[in-house]
Amino acid sequence: MLQFKNALRFCILGFGVFSLSIFSISCIAADDAWLALQKTAYAARELNYQGVFVYQNGKQSRSVQITHMNNNGQEMTRNLVLDNGAQAGQPREVYSQGNDILIVRPKNEKMVIEKRRGQNLFPAMLPTDLQSLKASYNTRVLATEMIAGRGAQVIELIPNDTFRYGYKIWADAEFGLLLKMTLLDSKKQTLEQIEFTQLSMLNSQDANWFQPKIDVKKNYVTEDVSAVNHVDTSWIVAELPTGYVKVDHVTLNLPGKTTPVDQMIFSDGIASVSLFIEPITKGMHPKMGHMLIGSTNICANVIDSYQITVVGEVPEATVMQIAKAVTFKKQTALK
Amino acid sequence: MKDQLSALIDGEYDISDSEHLITSAKSGGEMKNCWAHYHLIGDAMRGDGVMSNDFSRRVMAALDAEPTVLAPNATTVSLQANQQSDYKKITKQSTKLWSVAASVAAVMFVGVMMFQQQFSQTEQLAPVEIAQSIPTEYLQAHQAAAPSSAAYYIQNASYAESKK
Repeated sequence: MLQFKNALRFCILGFGVFSLSIFSISCIAADDAWLALQKTAYAARELNYQGVFVYQNGKQSRSVQITHMNNNGQEMTRNLVLDNGAQAGQPREVYSQGNDILIVRPKNEKMVIEKRRGQNLFPAMLPTDLQSLKASYNTRVLATEMIAGRGAQVIELIPNDTFRYGYKIWADAEFGLLLKMTLLDSKKQTLEQIEFTQLSMLNSQDANWFQPKIDVKKNYVTEDVSAVNHVDTSWIVAELPTGYVKVDHVTLNLPGKTTPVDQMIFSDGIASVSLFIEPITKGMHPKMGHMLIGSTNICANVIDSYQITVVGEVPEATVMQIAKAVTFKKQTALK
Repeated sequence: MKDQLSALIDGEYDISDSEHLITSAKSGGEMKNCWAHYHLIGDAMRGDGVMSNDFSRRVMAALDAEPTVLAPNATTVSLQANQQSDYKKITKQSTKLWSVAASVAAVMFVGVMMFQQQFSQTEQLAPVEIAQSIPTEYLQAHQAAAPSSAAYYIQNASYAESKK
C-alpha cells in the first residue's frame, strides 16, 4: 500500500514536471520566434546583399532588383523596378539613404526626380522595435522551407483580433534576412506576396552602384509632394481600433486638389492606415461607401461637409471604424 | 403629324404606334426641327430652361455624326424609301426602331443632367458611391507615408501609367 502511495506520488510529481516542461517549451518557442523576428529586422538593415524580388498584389506583379549595403552604419539601398510595362528600357530607380528616398522615374520625355521620406521597405519590413507587434500578434513556428535556394525558418504572425491581417514570414535560416512575406486574411488566403527569387550576399565595399544612371539626352525635373508637419488638430478620432496609434499627421497639397488635405497615419507596428480629411468644395462630388483594391481597403464618409477617406492594407472593419470615429472638435483639441 | 410628335414627347402617344414619327424626326428637315424645339419647349416649361438652343443643336449634330452601329440601321434606309408602300415591314421593325429612339432620349437625358449639374454647383452635391472612381491620389499618399510599405514605389509606377 505504501509502495502504491509512493508510486502515485512519483506519478503526480512526474506529471507535474512534464507539464511544467511543456509550458516552458511553448514559452521558449514563442520567445525564440520573437528573437528570430528581431534578427530578421536587423539583418535587412545590417547585411550587404543583392537580389531580385517579385511583388504581387491583386492582379499586379512587379520584379525589382535590390542592392543593399551598410557601410559603417550608413545604409544605402538601390531598387530598380525591372518590369515597368510601357516604360521598358528605362527602369524606375529608387535610392534610399538614411531617412530619405529618392525616386528617379521616366515621365513622357522627361525624367522626374522625387524626394520622399524614408520608409521600411522590403526586406526591411519589420520594425526594429517589436514591442507594438507583440501586443497585437501571436507567433507560430512552422516547418522550414526553401526560398530562392536558401533554407528558411517560417514564422506566422497571427493577429489577436479582426482589426488586422496575418503575416507569414520566411527568414533566412543562416542570416535571418527576410526572404518572403505574405499578407493573409482571416481565411488564411494570400492577399499580397513579396519574395526573393534570387539572392546573394555581397563581399565588396564598392559603392559605385549608388548613383542614378544619368541619360544626358533627357531633361531632369524635380517633383516634390509638399507635406507639412501638423501640430495642432481640431480633428479627433474618438476610438481607434485596438493596437493602432497615431504615428504622424501632415497637411498635403495633392495634385488635382484645390485645398490642402489633412493626413493622419495610424500604425500597429506593421499594418498602417491613412485618414484623409478634405473640405468639400463647390462642385465636388462627396463620396460614400467602401471599396477593395488588391489588399487595400478604402472607406469614404462625409462628416460636417468634410470628405473623410480611410485607406489601408487592413481589414474592412478597421477602415470602417476609423471613418466612423472621426469628429470635429474645434475647442477641445488640446491634447 | 406635329401634334402627334408633341404628344409623343410628352408621353401621351401610343409608343407602339409611333415609329413613323421617329422615322420622320430622324429623316431631318422640318420634323427634326420640331423634335428639337418641342424638347426645348418641354424643358423650359418644366423649369429646365438653362438649356440653350445651341446645346440641343450640338447634341443633334453629335448624334448625326455618331456612326450608328445598331443592326437595323441598314434597313432603316430602305424603310424610309418604302415607308408608304410597305407598312407591315415597318411594324416588324418597330421595337428596334424604338430602341433607337430610346437611346436618343437617353442621350438627351444624360445631356440635360450634365448641363444642370454645372448650374447647381453652389449647393453641395449628393454623395456618390466611392466604387465609381478610385481615389488614386489618396492611395499614393497613403503608400508613400505608411511606416512600412511592401513596395509603394512599385505600385506607384502602375498608377502613374494608368493616370496618363
